[in-house]
Amino acid sequence: MMSYSILTVFDIVLISTLLWLAWKMLRSEDIFKAVVLFISFGLLMALAWVRMRAPDVALAEAALGAGLTGPLFLSALRRMERLHKDERRVDIDEERKSDRTLDTKQKEAL
Amino acid sequence: MITLDNLGILCIVMGLPFFLTGTVGLLRFPDIYTRLHALTKADNVGLGLIILGLSLQADNLFTVAKLILIWILVLIASSASCHLVARSAMQKNIHPWVK
Amino acid sequence: MSYLHISCALIILCSIAAGMIRILSGPTAADRMMAAQLFGTCGVAILLLLAKGMDTIVLLDIALVFALLAALATITFVRRAWHEQSGVPRR
Repeated sequence: MMSYSILTVFDIVLISTLLWLAWKMLRSEDIFKAVVLFISFGLLMALAWVRMRAPDVALAEAALGAGLTGPLFLSALRRMERLHKDERRVDIDEERKSDRTLDTKQKEAL
Repeated sequence: MITLDNLGILCIVMGLPFFLTGTVGLLRFPDIYTRLHALTKADNVGLGLIILGLSLQADNLFTVAKLILIWILVLIASSASCHLVARSAMQKNIHPWVK
Repeated sequence: MSYLHISCALIILCSIAAGMIRILSGPTAADRMMAAQLFGTCGVAILLLLAKGMDTIVLLDIALVFALLAALATITFVRRAWHEQSGVPRR
């Protein structure tokens, strides 16, 4: 009986955290903040699936919500912001570009 | 009476304050470097103590091996991401907090 | 069912809910991302405690997936999404 009631408290805390997180995610104006909130929403949603006694769905949610959609959203965010603003930022493409110019210079030298 | 089960319970309960300390550090520390320090060290010690406690209570050796594998993976992941974030912050000229 | 393991998981869940404040109010982008990293570690601990508390040994595999994929989001963030504007701290 004791263990049953503590499980109920666990469920209530989990559900209220999930709802608060979802509300803040929908209300946030900063897209990056929404992405980070989405990643943590996926983590907590996996816990919720575990509490609903569906470990297989929780496994899929952990792999997709935490592992796949987070990095995909972050990459998409970078492309989107680059389209909107001409900000200069140090990232992997610039490194590649400098490597390529270096290669052509070496070829010209040869 | 000291049994393996009670020792496991002791280890699990000892692991909890490390998690709470990590969260308090995340909320209270002034700088990104100090926050990184609080997060990636305290939490991993707490997880290590919980895994030690659960291994003392585990039924077979296979479960113990899996628990230790999980801990090693978390250690690698958090130390790698901590170093990446700290080095990238240094390259972006974010200055450490001074009094 | 084990009373102790589930109450320990509840305490760690409360610490996750407190760490949410840092995601909502974190001044730099890296603070938000590292709070999500903290959620990964805490989620692994909760899953391990629930696996013992609910007598479901399958949850260890979910914790393994969590631990494997924990660093992926942070690495992507550092390599791709952390630009100069969001990296400057407010003074």
